[in-house]
Amino acid sequence: MTLLEFARGPALEAALIIFIAGASWRFVGALLLPWRLVHATPRAGAPSAPMSAIKSIFTKMWPHKPFQSAGLFTFVNGYIFHFGLAIIVLLFAPHVLFIKGLTGLSWPALPNNVVYVFGALTLASLLAALAHRLGSPVLRLISRNDDYLSWLLTFLPVLTGLLTAAHLGARYETLLAVHILSICAFLIWFPFGKLMHAVLFAFSRAMTGVRLGQRGAEI
Amino acid sequence: MTAKTTAAGVPFDAQGELTDDARQSAAMRGFVSEFGAVAAANLEACVRCGMCANACHFYVATGNPIYTPINKLQPFEQAYKRHAGPFAPIYRLFGLAPRVTLEKLEEWERLIFDACTLCGRCTLACPMGIDIAELIKKARHGMFKAGLIPDRLQLMDRTARAWGSPATPAEDFADIIHDVGEQYGVKMNVDLDKADYLLTVAPAELTDHTKALADAAKVLNRLGASWTYHTQGFEASNIGYLNGDLELQEKMTRRLIDTAVKIGAHTLVLPECGHAYGAARWEAARWYGDKLPVRIIHMTEFLQEAVENGKVRIKPINQSASFHDPCQLVRRGGVNEAPRAVMAAAKIELKELENHGALAWCCGGGGGVVSNARADPIRYQAFQLKQREVDAAGAERFITACGQCRITLDLGAKHFKWDKKVESLLEVVADNLEDEPRAPLEGPGQ
Amino acid sequence: MSIEAPRAARPQTRPETLGEMLAARGVSRRAFLKYASYVGALLALPAETIPAFAEGLATARRQSVIWLSFQECTGCTESLTRSFSPTLENLIFDFISLDYHHTLQAASGEAAEDARKAAMAANKGKYIVVVDGSVSTRDGGLYSTIAGVANIDMLHETAKDALAVIAVGACAAFGGIPKARPNPTGAAAIDQLVTDRPVVNIPGCPPIPEAMAGALSYIVSFGKLPELDHLRRPKAFFGETIHDRCYRRPFYERGLFAEGFDDEGARKGYCLYKVGCKGPVTYNSCATLKWNGGVSFPIQSGHGCLGCSEPDFWDQGGFYRPLSTTLGDLGPALAGAALAGVALGAGAAYASRRHQAAYLKEPPLPAKTAASGGDRP
Repeated sequence: MTLLEFARGPALEAALIIFIAGASWRFVGALLLPWRLVHATPRAGAPSAPMSAIKSIFTKMWPHKPFQSAGLFTFVNGYIFHFGLAIIVLLFAPHVLFIKGLTGLSWPALPNNVVYVFGALTLASLLAALAHRLGSPVLRLISRNDDYLSWLLTFLPVLTGLLTAAHLGARYETLLAVHILSICAFLIWFPFGKLMHAVLFAFSRAMTGVRLGQRGAEI
Repeated sequence: MTAKTTAAGVPFDAQGELTDDARQSAAMRGFVSEFGAVAAANLEACVRCGMCANACHFYVATGNPIYTPINKLQPFEQAYKRHAGPFAPIYRLFGLAPRVTLEKLEEWERLIFDACTLCGRCTLACPMGIDIAELIKKARHGMFKAGLIPDRLQLMDRTARAWGSPATPAEDFADIIHDVGEQYGVKMNVDLDKADYLLTVAPAELTDHTKALADAAKVLNRLGASWTYHTQGFEASNIGYLNGDLELQEKMTRRLIDTAVKIGAHTLVLPECGHAYGAARWEAARWYGDKLPVRIIHMTEFLQEAVENGKVRIKPINQSASFHDPCQLVRRGGVNEAPRAVMAAAKIELKELENHGALAWCCGGGGGVVSNARADPIRYQAFQLKQREVDAAGAERFITACGQCRITLDLGAKHFKWDKKVESLLEVVADNLEDEPRAPLEGPGQ
Repeated sequence: MSIEAPRAARPQTRPETLGEMLAARGVSRRAFLKYASYVGALLALPAETIPAFAEGLATARRQSVIWLSFQECTGCTESLTRSFSPTLENLIFDFISLDYHHTLQAASGEAAEDARKAAMAANKGKYIVVVDGSVSTRDGGLYSTIAGVANIDMLHETAKDALAVIAVGACAAFGGIPKARPNPTGAAAIDQLVTDRPVVNIPGCPPIPEAMAGALSYIVSFGKLPELDHLRRPKAFFGETIHDRCYRRPFYERGLFAEGFDDEGARKGYCLYKVGCKGPVTYNSCATLKWNGGVSFPIQSGHGCLGCSEPDFWDQGGFYRPLSTTLGDLGPALAGAALAGVALGAGAAYASRRHQAAYLKEPPLPAKTAASGGDRP
């Protein structure tokens, strides 16, 4: 079995199974704990709970004015690599095919060269994020192994993906295999670390939105 | 109750004669009882982006990363991972989520109590919508059970349990009311069997700010409403809410609401106190469910109502003022519009602070911090954030609607020899009522 | 060879060297040098070594070759012998002394086997063994025998004294179709079995004739193996991917793909990645040398590359499955994983509730005891 076969076959299969099972486990395990939301009588004229939840999910997409200057880098850079990742993952032709192969869903892709540009941008943005984390006393204090591992496992697929596209450093099939293996590592780690925020952020936002919304407070 | 320090030199207080294990276990019980789906979704969503740091007055004022809000939750989160999270059994099996040590709890006492005013500014800054302030409040429940809270707060707790108020024994309450009535020449009602409005007080009003008792009475009298203070339920300040003493919180809450029900009041008016509002208005549902037996409003909301339905008229003040938004009232309580409406009615030109409304800086003394002398240095540093904004706004007056904020700001002003006097919105209104009472436009009360 | 005159009609006294033979056939020295340059270029020889290569080739003595056909389909032989027109490769293959090839040789039965043994004895250490087909290893290799001898035994016996072994075709090089799952005969590639002699792989299903001829020419001319890659393939022919040299590559970069074999994209000649082309991971010269005398190659004819010069090309999830997809259909496995995850999560939440309740129900530790316990799990 070649490395590429291993990557495309058993490795990817195992990684996807762990990813799906682990993420559902964590998601369900957290949300089936007792719901202890204290529902006070809402303020007259306060938005309904679903409205507050939705509002919170959206308003948290950009910081309130007082937090904009201090959080500018965090937010802007965060957007760059999140958008970059979304474009790479969702709009690169081979990835579209990968998703189609898994889910049957398909959509048009961007020309490769456009995706390469986003790939490079994302790579730079991720490096900047790491530099920021290492350079900020606050972030150094609150960061854990999870943060660095999650960073690495996000960075590696982008890096190996670009190297694969550019045929740099090794034979194409080796690069492709390493790229797929790096995604496997990402998928395997996803349910256990902070990468889960991709799913949980909406719930966290919504719950706080409901708490503050029923009080008629700003979200 | 002697001051202790951890091996790392961090000061902490500890109450009760407990073995280390018993103390650690008690804290864990307190934490564990809080781990529901909401706490879980919140704790699981953090990406350690650090946005909360710049929302916290203690971090911004000191630049010390330990005051990063999410950092204050570390032991709580660790306990969650070990005892409640989806992978908790596996973590326990493989030792991946270590036991929260007593040492760590002791070290975190100052972060959970001294360095958090529960102001919730971090909650608004968090891109993941994690309600950090709420989680810290939950963490306090465990810390209280373990006897790991600042001695000063513990002292108030015991006083409140014994007296029904941290300020005065209940049996002295009626006397104080009568004395204040005489002092300011205002007709006082206390312990009436029936009344539409139950008026409640904050501890500072029984000591430093007694005029507030008279001012509130004055407005209600002008309204022509049926109202009373009541010995069985007068203390709205809920020290249990701040200390993490849920038992006391329930007791204090029940005293107010049960008394209001007993005298047939339709409205319970909370004093100018921030956390009284949080405790009674939003957390009474813990024991009464979501249909409270009585309407609970803050003094500021009451003033807005009185002004807006025309029953109370205020003389034009024609001065400028800045308003300090009490966190529990505005950011955490949603009472943003009411104080501004009242000031507008009084023809006060509002010069907003740079950070105002839901995003205002905390006074630095909420959540029990002002009562906790150990926190004085950072409280004063945080005060300066507010001081700078007030000076920059350049208004003639400086008004707030929370007694606790007022004390904190007064202490700060004294410490830095700042010439601004912090005024109570209630007092401003009461001092400027139109001389001629008008006939009520509508029927009395509501 | 089959296009040439039958062996029986040839003069009994064969020319001694390739040069002499070509001259006897009326091939000019000029034409031969042109050919040598061509093959030299294919082999990526440095320009200054080409005269030496040509000279080596022209003066090479007849090379004894034993061709072993095991679990194979004869396609490789067909590829070699049915080239578009009589070419110099054919002549070279005429020139070698093909002492044993059970498809081509006239002799049969014991006489054929005797010929093999005689050639081995006469050219000990100097003959080249060409193998097409994989070798059955299961149950002593009884699934494929010649003259009652298991392929595996014949291979060991024949390769033992060979100068080199050339594994021709996907089956000999990598096991090929006989080795495809579930591989009932325990088929193995030649280099898995021959470990003490040099082995060159010329994979492909079938391999490109020039690659076979080129490798053989090199060995004949220089007496050593050409430069090989990690799969023992001559780098000259297997150094680049089909994708890298594909004339449709620009469409890939621009994101223009055929979605099927009869759509607009297919008619416009767009990239075949989406319909399963394995060009990106297939190292071969099809895109440059092409087939049938340079007429075309699969992609040019509208079909994606199958990746036949790569190991286990038959088991890569399907010829029409895009390269970037998983090898198998994971739907059921993933649905199962999701269900299992939900069940585990619900179980974890239940366990957590129980754990929390039990934790809270335990009587508090006595205030003044040294008993350990504390944070009981």
